[in-house]
Amino acid sequence: MFGPIASLSQLNRADGSASYKCPATGYSILGAVNAPIELPARRDALKPEEATVEVFVKPGTTTAGVGERYVEGILRSVLGKIVLGREKGFPRRGVVITLAIVGGENVERGDSYLTILPALLHAALLAMISASVPLSMTFSATLLGVTKSGDIVRDPSPTAAKAAVSLHVFAFSSKNHLLLNESEGRFEFDTWELVRERALSICQGVISSDGDVTMDEGTTSASLNGFIRETVEDQVYSDYAYKLDSI
Amino acid sequence: MASTTTPSNPTPPSLSLPPSQFARLQPHAYLLAHLSPPPASNQPSIRANGRATSQFRVTSANAGSLTHTNGSAVVRIGDTAAVCGVRAEILHTKDIASWSVLQASAEQKFDKSNETGVPESQDEEDKGHIQDLNLLVPNLSLSTGCAPGFTPGAPPSALAQSLSHQILSLLHTSRLVKADDLRIWYQPPNLDSEEFHNAGEGMEVDTEESGGPEREIKAFWVLYIDVMIISLAGNPFDAAWASVLAALRDTKLPKAWWDADNETILCSDDVADAQKLSLRGLPVSSSFCSFESDVAAGWRAVVIPDAEEQKQKKGAQQRWILADPDGYEEGLSQERVSVVVDKENGKTVIVKMEKHGGWTVDSDDLRHLVDVSAQRWDEMKRILDQC
Amino acid sequence: MSKEAQLSIAERDFILEALRENVRLDGRQPDDYRPLNISFGEEYGHVKLQLGKTNIIVRISAEVTKPREDRPFDGLFNINLELSAMGSPAWENGRTNDIEAYATNTLDRIIRHSNALDTESLCILKGVSCWSIRADVHIIDYDGNITDAACIAIMAGLQHFRRPDAVVRDGRVIVYGVEQRVPVPLNITHKPLSVTFHTFNDSKHVIVDATLKEEQAAEGDLVIGINSAGDVCYLSKYAGAPADAMAIVNKTNVAWEKVKEINAAVDKVLQADLAKRAKIGMADESRAENDRLVQIE
Repeated sequence: MFGPIASLSQLNRADGSASYKCPATGYSILGAVNAPIELPARRDALKPEEATVEVFVKPGTTTAGVGERYVEGILRSVLGKIVLGREKGFPRRGVVITLAIVGGENVERGDSYLTILPALLHAALLAMISASVPLSMTFSATLLGVTKSGDIVRDPSPTAAKAAVSLHVFAFSSKNHLLLNESEGRFEFDTWELVRERALSICQGVISSDGDVTMDEGTTSASLNGFIRETVEDQVYSDYAYKLDSI
Repeated sequence: MASTTTPSNPTPPSLSLPPSQFARLQPHAYLLAHLSPPPASNQPSIRANGRATSQFRVTSANAGSLTHTNGSAVVRIGDTAAVCGVRAEILHTKDIASWSVLQASAEQKFDKSNETGVPESQDEEDKGHIQDLNLLVPNLSLSTGCAPGFTPGAPPSALAQSLSHQILSLLHTSRLVKADDLRIWYQPPNLDSEEFHNAGEGMEVDTEESGGPEREIKAFWVLYIDVMIISLAGNPFDAAWASVLAALRDTKLPKAWWDADNETILCSDDVADAQKLSLRGLPVSSSFCSFESDVAAGWRAVVIPDAEEQKQKKGAQQRWILADPDGYEEGLSQERVSVVVDKENGKTVIVKMEKHGGWTVDSDDLRHLVDVSAQRWDEMKRILDQC
Repeated sequence: MSKEAQLSIAERDFILEALRENVRLDGRQPDDYRPLNISFGEEYGHVKLQLGKTNIIVRISAEVTKPREDRPFDGLFNINLELSAMGSPAWENGRTNDIEAYATNTLDRIIRHSNALDTESLCILKGVSCWSIRADVHIIDYDGNITDAACIAIMAGLQHFRRPDAVVRDGRVIVYGVEQRVPVPLNITHKPLSVTFHTFNDSKHVIVDATLKEEQAAEGDLVIGINSAGDVCYLSKYAGAPADAMAIVNKTNVAWEKVKEINAAVDKVLQADLAKRAKIGMADESRAENDRLVQIE
């Protein structure tokens, strides 16, 4: 299996941007963040002590509907919690996150939005890092499906996701907190715990008894948290290449 | 506000503000004071609205309140009230642009399943029809004045749209409504014709046995499920979903058939002929929020401990998980948990579980919340059975 | 922020002064476009277009729907352009602004109303089912001239797109998946493109493909929609200072040259992409054949 592909800061106009592509599910997301930015039209909604986080999801080949509003709500609540909105320059201003679905199948009306949620989360996180929005932590998210035979499948394709008995999205912070869980289908709590464990190992790598993180998930892909870190490191490296050369 | 119902007044006597004003000025401190009374005072930890942490508000339901619908219900959870009306409309297959296309793909699917020897399960076909043809159309509106801030003439708010999606998505994933209840069939008279072989195969065993021409789907019932929140005092989803559930249990569809002579669908006006929907299970939703003690304390420097560290010194960083939060409590917490459970032969099955907006709730708490939700299921079943 | 940052007086004067000496800020001639870069995604009809720093993604999609009651023989074709805060911080999500309305209108007139995509060919079964083609334009970086850029991207997308094959058998429509039958290209009748001019200094200086700064400094604009054969299908002098009538006539010739040039460039990229796909397709086929051979053995 191929790991995800991501890159930072490709757009000129937005304060920060990132693209994220998950080959397994086929989704490709382009994220842009403008922050901190004045929101004159939203004056009523602005908070006196904090930044207002706004999320906008733009589907690739349809107009946005109720499903987008729902997933925007989830993203807003997850991202709003990790943005340090009380830092200087942020109160009474907006953090506007725009996510365009530029590749992959459409999420039809009434379809589950879970399949695309991890990609949206990652694109939003990387775009915020690219825009230098102060964050309390980073995170990584994964989608898991439980098949009829009880197997746990990582990143099922949209067709496989439809056939799955239950679907689960987990997001873990870099410090192992469970930030988000969305599960649907029919399952028991014991199954859920197994899935949670698997998700944690995908996101953080397997933690062996001596406390070292080993890259055991699959053979090709390291942990997702490691992937996020590497993507950012690559960008920093290329941004400061001129300094490195002069040394 | 709910605070006026507080039975006890834990504010120190030196403070000369009435509790209702304190609740408005310092909402976080007010709720925190209720939940963590000083150890000397011998007061129990209780929510500002007088409920215990895992106690739901008084719930009532009444079905069949509206006369011009096929099914309806009013559900009230505390001060949150939802009305739901279900209206059934006929959708002719000839009006569905993708109908014949759909048949083609179904045919292929059927062929494939024959090859591999795995029969298509009834469930999957159900989900396909209901979802692809949009046979369930829920819409939720937050009516003007249901809470301060809902002004007339405003477009559907993000909250209303998101709740509509949640209802639709839960209707689909729980497979509550059976597609077979929504199909209107035509059984052609036995004329030895072999032209009707395209109609949905693999589900009607009886006609195959009789050897006659196959039944054909001529139309579908489309259920328009309209939910109106007439009063919003926190936790709208539980109330809205309960009203949808009660209304669908109340829904009766008239007997309908295809009249070949008039080439149209006829419905019987005899109430005795009308059939109730046969629903799959009874998924009940329970929502919670997590109230943290130190939101105000961590004003500027946000220090987040490791998940492991946090577990060890749980006492220091206190938080309470409040069941069925009212509007006041929702405003003071960001982390939400929602669990939808069903029971099959006494065994609890989770249909949907979601949590977001924070990092204090993890598996141990969720396990407990599933148990709480299972208890709530018993209570809701009793209430819905009586209505 | 709901307005683009205004051009400073110094910047405006600098641009105008330079134009008087026939110099543009990026060194282009008045009739030069910025470097145009078009590439295609994995899916059919997924176009990524860069015109200088203006960056656009277009996705074409098709679905079967019911035709309109009054036009039972016609399929549907829609162009959807929605500006989001991604393209420019000045654009607010979920709110329409003037640029959006203007660009949508222009694109509609040039591509849709000139019947560049033959909608009758989209009919599957009269009055029952037809194809609905949708072009979604995502402006992800805005540096002026979105109309021309979007127009090129949509036309490239329509030529690149392949819809699933559909046949009617016994009054039933059968749509074949991409893996069952080779998908079919859309029927393009002609290839109109828009060329936007901006006028400066009492229409003494007229340039094509203005950047955002040049747009802000301009006194008026002129849009000409024209195809490779030289048929004008749209002409708009929408707002701003009056322009010289002869200049408009002269510029039509410039526009025609530009359209021929751009269409040739698009053709080249399209052919290259098709050749690449054919190669991959052949490789897949031979692999499938090998698999079959193995099975027989």
